[in-house]
Amino acid sequence: MPKRKLDPLPSAAFHILLALADNVLHGYGIMRQVEQQTNGGIRLGPGTLYSSLQALVEEGLIEEVDRSPAAAKGTERRRYYRLTSSGRKLAHHEADRMADLLRIARAKKILRGEYV
Amino acid sequence: MSEQLFAFLLRLYPAAFREKYRDEALQLYRDRLRDETGTFPRARLYVDLLADAATGLPQAWRNSYAVSNAPSFAQITESMPSFRLLEKEKLRPEFIAMGSTLSVLVLIGFGLFMSLPSPFRPLPNSRNPKSPIESVMERLNHSTSPQPDGSGPDGFEVAGVVPATPGALTARGQSGAVDVPTGSAPKIDPAERQRVVQAVAGNLQVHYYDHEKAQNASAAILALEQRGAYDAIVDGPDLAVRLTSDLRSSTHDLHLIVEYSSRSLPNQPVNPPAALPAVVSEQYRQAMKQQNCTFEKVEILPNNIGYFKLNSFPDPAVCGAEARAALQNLNQADAIIFDLRDNGGGQPDMVAQMSAPLFDHSVPWFNPRANPSSTMLSPAYRSKLANKPVYILTSTLTHSGAEHFTYNLKMLKRATIVGENTAGSAELGAFHRIDDHFGMGIPETPIANPYGKPDWELIGIAPDVRVPAADALATAEKLALEYRKN
Repeated sequence: MPKRKLDPLPSAAFHILLALADNVLHGYGIMRQVEQQTNGGIRLGPGTLYSSLQALVEEGLIEEVDRSPAAAKGTERRRYYRLTSSGRKLAHHEADRMADLLRIARAKKILRGEYV
Repeated sequence: MSEQLFAFLLRLYPAAFREKYRDEALQLYRDRLRDETGTFPRARLYVDLLADAATGLPQAWRNSYAVSNAPSFAQITESMPSFRLLEKEKLRPEFIAMGSTLSVLVLIGFGLFMSLPSPFRPLPNSRNPKSPIESVMERLNHSTSPQPDGSGPDGFEVAGVVPATPGALTARGQSGAVDVPTGSAPKIDPAERQRVVQAVAGNLQVHYYDHEKAQNASAAILALEQRGAYDAIVDGPDLAVRLTSDLRSSTHDLHLIVEYSSRSLPNQPVNPPAALPAVVSEQYRQAMKQQNCTFEKVEILPNNIGYFKLNSFPDPAVCGAEARAALQNLNQADAIIFDLRDNGGGQPDMVAQMSAPLFDHSVPWFNPRANPSSTMLSPAYRSKLANKPVYILTSTLTHSGAEHFTYNLKMLKRATIVGENTAGSAELGAFHRIDDHFGMGIPETPIANPYGKPDWELIGIAPDVRVPAADALATAEKLALEYRKN
């Protein structure tokens, strides 16, 4: 029985879950999406990206889907991924946990502002 | 970073990872290469890839690829025995090269280790160590016919029973005491072989001072005999050699020995040396007088180097005054050379008397033939030699008592040994007759060595400066001169 690798959820895995929240994406697409949603702060390299994808698949948090027709007819060999319901649930939990942390941070005057 | 380089980087990932994601990872790399043009984005890409390797690699190896690929232990045990592929990948050439290199290095290391001198093997240059049987035969020869050249009984006896070494001037190996023919080796039959093994085991248990080791070694050779390990041995000398080797490897005691003599061994017990007839003592006294106590030369060499050539360490009761006088003559020298190249041994008491003037304080003293074997040696007063450099000249003919002198001064770091490896004859075991042809030497009391090293039995004493015996004197003179200049 392999040890659960996503407890606690690594930052890269959470970003991938978020990237797939409203999209079906392939590896490069996920990388770009993560880069975009973090304002260029995080660019997942292939090692981190595919290791995380594999771990997420193994945990049933995301799943591979059939290739898009556009990719299927080309020579490129890409896998596409989408969020599963348990993945969505976990992402929700993680976001909740972070929101709690934010509330605490604000209460402690570590973080200011009304947003988030 | 070229694509090949990135592909090489990917090879560091687990095989299962590569199998599944290699193409996609390469595709991702190409995509980024295509999209991120310009110096800065390109440089950032390379930094990203390197950083990714640092963080992604451990993560990739933590994933369950290997585990999921390999059958679990439970699966293996639950099913019938079968071959399973643990790793689909072929063995890479670099791994084969690395494995081969490592094997060769281990082999070379093992070879070097085996070639080191070991206290449990005789060295090639420790030739002709005297065995208890030789000693017995010589002892008999001595007591029945004292040698006309005046060489008397030797104080180095075998555990107080049998004198071991020849007279002072008798060349080692020329006594002919053990008449082992060089032609066909004497044969033994299975019954005799079994009898000898049992007798060796029995003698060991009765006489060896360490009863536990004796039990173990006896049990070992009896078990070997039972298993038929000695069945192929049909020659007496071969059996003796094999039993000696087995006893030594079991007890780690070099002083144990089994010997074969083609000449029939005497049946009567040998007289202890303490009971030597008075006439022999008188003959010895006369012989020593004629031979100047075997002190061949006592002189001052150029550059005020004292030179003392002595060919034995005679009994101090007979030659004590002569020995003192000899050293007194050299008392003003700046250095002293003891020439033991032709010294066949002698009395431990004389060894101690000769050593005492070389110290100005008490030193731990080893005398393997005394009980206790470890005592203190008091310095001789009014000796000016205590702070002078000492050189000892050795050869392969340096035996027994001469080795005792050399060994102790070497261990005490009081002398520089110049010449050849000494003969390696300590002969500390008491002789026990097994039958007409077989006998064995067994140490009956423990030998405590204050210097914590193996004594010189079989291995001899290695010189500090190794030169042929013929060049030893010139070398020592040179060393003494250099020492004075410095």
